[in-house]
Amino acid sequence: MIISRFVAVLLAFGVLSGCSSMGVEPWERDILAKEEMQLTTDAIEAATDDHIYFSKEASSGGRGFGGGGCGCN
Amino acid sequence: MKNNDKISISAALTAATCTLLGTTALQPVQAQEDPGWDFNTSLLYYGEDNDRIQDLSLKTLSRRTFVDDRILSLGLTIDALTGATPNGALPQSFPQTFTKPSGKNTFTTPPGEFPIDDSFRDTRVAISANWDQPLGRLYAMNVGVSASAEFDYLHLGLNAKLSRDFNNRNTTLSGGFAFASDQLDPVGGIPDPLTQMRNVRDDDDDGNSGRSSTDTKEILDLVLGVTQVMSRNFLMQFNYSYSDSSGYLSDPYKILTAIDANGDAIFLPQVPGVEGPSHLNYYEHRPDSRSKHSLYAQGKYYMSGKVLDASYRYMTDDWEIDSHTVDLRLRWPIGDTSYLEPHLRFYTQTAAEFYQISLNGLNDGEPLPEYASADYRLGDFDALTAGLKFGWKTGGGNDMSVRLELYSQSGNVSSSDLIGSQADRDVYPDMDAIIFQYSYQFGK
Repeated sequence: MIISRFVAVLLAFGVLSGCSSMGVEPWERDILAKEEMQLTTDAIEAATDDHIYFSKEASSGGRGFGGGGCGCN
Repeated sequence: MKNNDKISISAALTAATCTLLGTTALQPVQAQEDPGWDFNTSLLYYGEDNDRIQDLSLKTLSRRTFVDDRILSLGLTIDALTGATPNGALPQSFPQTFTKPSGKNTFTTPPGEFPIDDSFRDTRVAISANWDQPLGRLYAMNVGVSASAEFDYLHLGLNAKLSRDFNNRNTTLSGGFAFASDQLDPVGGIPDPLTQMRNVRDDDDDGNSGRSSTDTKEILDLVLGVTQVMSRNFLMQFNYSYSDSSGYLSDPYKILTAIDANGDAIFLPQVPGVEGPSHLNYYEHRPDSRSKHSLYAQGKYYMSGKVLDASYRYMTDDWEIDSHTVDLRLRWPIGDTSYLEPHLRFYTQTAAEFYQISLNGLNDGEPLPEYASADYRLGDFDALTAGLKFGWKTGGGNDMSVRLELYSQSGNVSSSDLIGSQADRDVYPDMDAIIFQYSYQFGK
């Protein structure tokens, strides 16, 4: 348990320090702030697709929670 | 003098005064959304070929933004479902009769067709409420509840997520969980697993109906994610998800055909005056727990006005299903107020370890397996989605879009798994579906 926590902290630190060299300054966010650059541009379309594929395939989630809430699977 | 000039002069005077006084003008920490309501609505038609499932769905997502970037989101979905879905039994060279799930009558499938019960009708109503709230300068949380009801199914769920920004807000770590408690109350009750399909109104002489009324399942989802700004025009997200389901995970309406050594369904002697199945079928049985692990990566890349959205998901579970999903969208602006967005999605999965197209060898004294399902969604198949979306700004500045997509599933059954005459017939119900969605966003 202690080891896995240690590994998790180490990984988090590695990710954060590795990522610190990437990125942009606050005044360089003009493109990232655009609506079409958001990770989910259309929440209803994303929810629709998640529900269709949850109902028709054996996989779900990934982008968000795998969910349930339907007798279709 | 123009207003802009007035503002810039007053800003310059404020800055100069602050400089002289040695103080700093107070600035908001970050841009805030204007308080108020906005609405996202859509009408969806989803239709499968061969008289299978048709769904007409109305969805709305209403958002109220408060000061300090606190947001309340309320979702409502109403689905009207008709049509039918394959019940798991295989096509035969002769007609087959099945007892309907209600146990009150039968339906007959012509030779060569996948048996489907076309009396299926359902309405599903789903609601959700979520609250977004910044916590201090770097943390944000989201909590929510959800509920949905169908004729034979009730879902209650809650979820929470916490995120923290690092590295000048270029990195965001997030963690969240969702818990769902669902109840099944199927038409005709829940059949005992791997028992024979009953005759109409057959409660057995011993008073045992072979069915129970309701059952439950619980689902716990955990998601850990990293979002990283890679450059001025490149953003990525990585998620790991774990999902644990327990309880009744079978489908109470799904059956398997028992076949003889020739690969044909086993005929049941008919008793005069008794209505019931013409051939030997068994209700399916799945394990009562399932653990899934998913890795998900998404990238958004801006190329002189066009935006590429690409994602990949790998999923593996302890039912021995592995899947790969690749999703690609390219948003292509047309003028200043509209865009086209082609979409391609590739999906492939391996079969669950207990998936089988039929129950074999029962005539030769082989025992029933512990678990078995012929549900096509647990089989080995590939799927392709191809679509096109067109979006535009209305005169009033609101967003409208239409999209048309085709979704196609194609099963892979190894010829070595086929017995006798099964090689001459379809054993996997391939499917094509149309997705048409009209969306309207207003109030922003």
